[in-house]
Amino acid sequence: MARFANGKAPFLRKTDDLTYGTQVIMRDFLIGLIPLILFAWYKNGIKVYVEGNATLLEMFYPIIFIMLGGLISMVIEGLFFIITDKEVRTLKVMMKKLQLSYAMIPGILLAMILPLYTPIWVLIFGCIMATFVTKLLFGGFGYNIFNPALIGYVAIAFTLMGVINKAGGVLNGSEVLIDAIAGATPLSTLSTTNLLSYQTLVAPYGSLWNFFIGTIPGALAETSALACIISFVWLSARKVIKWFVPVIYIGTVFGLSWLIGIFNGQAGIWFPTFSILSGGLMFGAVFMATEPVTTPKNPLGKIVFALFLGVFTVLFRFIGQYPEGVATSIIFMNIFTMPIDKWTSVIRTQGVTKKTIIKIIILAILIIAIATYALIKANSIYSASIGLPLYIGGWN
Amino acid sequence: MIIHKAKGIWIDGKKTMSKTLPMHEYLNPPFVYIPLLQQASPLKRIVEIGDKVAIGQTVALREGFGAMPIHASVSGTVTAIKKVWHASGRMVEAIEIQNDFQNRMDESIHVQTDVSLLSRNDLVIKMQQAGLSGLGGAGFPTYIKYQAKCPIDVVIINAVECEPYLTCDYMLINSYPEKLLKGLSYFMRAADAKKGVVAFKAYNTHIKESLEPLLLNYPGIELYEVKDIYPAGWEKYIVQKITKKSYSGLPAEAGAIVDNSATAIVFADVVEKNIPLISRVITISGEGIKNPQNFYVPLGTLVKELILLAGGYIEGLDPTKAWYIAGGPMTGRAILIDDLIVNDTLGSVIVKPMPEELKHPACLGCGKCADLCPVYLTPTEIQRAFESKDTKAIKELNAQKCMQCGLCSYVCPSHIEIADYVARAKELLRKGA
Repeated sequence: MARFANGKAPFLRKTDDLTYGTQVIMRDFLIGLIPLILFAWYKNGIKVYVEGNATLLEMFYPIIFIMLGGLISMVIEGLFFIITDKEVRTLKVMMKKLQLSYAMIPGILLAMILPLYTPIWVLIFGCIMATFVTKLLFGGFGYNIFNPALIGYVAIAFTLMGVINKAGGVLNGSEVLIDAIAGATPLSTLSTTNLLSYQTLVAPYGSLWNFFIGTIPGALAETSALACIISFVWLSARKVIKWFVPVIYIGTVFGLSWLIGIFNGQAGIWFPTFSILSGGLMFGAVFMATEPVTTPKNPLGKIVFALFLGVFTVLFRFIGQYPEGVATSIIFMNIFTMPIDKWTSVIRTQGVTKKTIIKIIILAILIIAIATYALIKANSIYSASIGLPLYIGGWN
Repeated sequence: MIIHKAKGIWIDGKKTMSKTLPMHEYLNPPFVYIPLLQQASPLKRIVEIGDKVAIGQTVALREGFGAMPIHASVSGTVTAIKKVWHASGRMVEAIEIQNDFQNRMDESIHVQTDVSLLSRNDLVIKMQQAGLSGLGGAGFPTYIKYQAKCPIDVVIINAVECEPYLTCDYMLINSYPEKLLKGLSYFMRAADAKKGVVAFKAYNTHIKESLEPLLLNYPGIELYEVKDIYPAGWEKYIVQKITKKSYSGLPAEAGAIVDNSATAIVFADVVEKNIPLISRVITISGEGIKNPQNFYVPLGTLVKELILLAGGYIEGLDPTKAWYIAGGPMTGRAILIDDLIVNDTLGSVIVKPMPEELKHPACLGCGKCADLCPVYLTPTEIQRAFESKDTKAIKELNAQKCMQCGLCSYVCPSHIEIADYVARAKELLRKGA
């Protein structure tokens, strides 16, 4: 008689195969960032260098900056482990622990959505907000409620944007010399103008093709829709993200912006296209809205979450001081991840029944109401309001 | 499409391991142990120590729901009432019968001459008298299904066997294809169904080859291929595919009865020769076994003897770093002491060295468990509700619908025992209710 080990069914696991597991998912995620980092390097480094506006060191600066973000995050997390965890006494144990908590990812993502030439101390501040406040204080990897990189970004945007501007932070390395549009992203133009026209919104940056390629002012690595789409295809094929989340999110923004355009005398497809190609929407949709820890886990929840993101992004673009609708709406929706997950899990498993119909109706009403409010709000901003009936216009 | 996408996943079956050697008949073990437990009901013993028993003699009775007799599987003497390890993971009282190797048959075993005259009711009574229960793993008394009030259109033979490693049904069908179809035709008569279907996995071309030429003699019987995915052998899945109807309780609601292929083969003997359920095929497999193979054995045989016949454990197997699994690797149970007996629900014993234990990160929230769940549960939410002992939420999340296929744990990239959480939530619900 031999005594055997205890275990729980199933006794086969997909993780028995080492080509599957969270490690692999995270590795694929990092690989998915490469197109964006390369584009950021091209746009902010190589292109500037070729044009003769930068030294060799400055050419490599975008890459160094992004890597620095990851490094700072790792250092913060390492220090935290040394203080809080008695087991962490050797470098080997600590590296293993850092590897299991994917310490570098928030820093890398944060650096990618900051303007070029952001002072390093601002980056450190952002990394502390991201890694320490948002991730570690909530219990570490897998337990955070908010997207760490976005909290870091919003903390900087709400407090230190002036500092970045003063320190020479620029949204576009190659176009820094052209005074007219330095520092102004297409969306900030949108928030200051009260006329929807191709001439004011798109023409200053060339054409929509530039928006697609990404040679417009914006943060370090978020401007290129093309790079985002390449990453999207890779991440979807590797099943790191669910393909329908970015599609629904971007689709909702596209549809709502189209309506806004139509109501304001711009029936052309350029305005919705402009809306989805600017403001880091593509980047947010592919990398932030799909972030698994802070978004709902069941597929129906993900769909509902993406719909809410879409309507809130449009709404936030037209209310409030900050043109960035993407970051704020994702963080805002992170709060509701848990209830959405709970509700949609019930709806998904029970189907449409007497018990779930109320939840379905509430969710639907919420989405439609927010979308309508965004339409009204946008409508009240632009003078060329011809589409909506007058009594709705009278709300504001 | 996105919300209700999941229809299983391909899992490496590792079936060739136990297919290479032919089925080994081992009909005369020195001792057999008839456990006094079937499903969750204890059995009433009707023999005493010292009694002489013959093959097929009734030794115990199941009472209450699913009442039926249980038979001796060898001839000999009752020598003790002992506790033995049972596939349910517990020690269970069992009747020990010492084999006298004379193969005396009980007088109830005789060739039935008037098979064609048996009425529907006669067949159902025969099922009950033979102690026939599902050999697929659940061990549900077969005759209960045939007493259902709903009209039955189709009897489905489940030969899918989607658990990895298992080949017992496959080997049995290849040995007795004719008996399978006979058993199915009797089942159809017992249910008054016009149609019979044998469902099997697409890669089991052997089953198709051996059954197809025989189909001419059995009108109304069809073959049905299912895709090579897990859990394609799930009763509900097969019924939905074949009848295009859904049901919530028993398959009879959709006009179908599902029986395991081994049950059908036994039923052919029950009808024609009045041999009750006294033997079954069991797969002894896994990386920890020297010569994995299938055994045809009387119920109550010690698995230990079978493992010795299969060459024993591989050299250098460290039992403390290996699993001894009763049942398939996806839904089976780890048995701590290798002193198991073969009972009606035990289709296999797998001995498998544990994979190297790695440190795994926390739940990433990828949602793969929810994606793949065949009944569309969200296991992470059930886990959360379980941890806060929120029975209302567990019920709302339909945890009771879980059929413990184990896919959520299988697919978890962070190696979380998520299926176990759901099972415990289910348990909590049962206790709370």
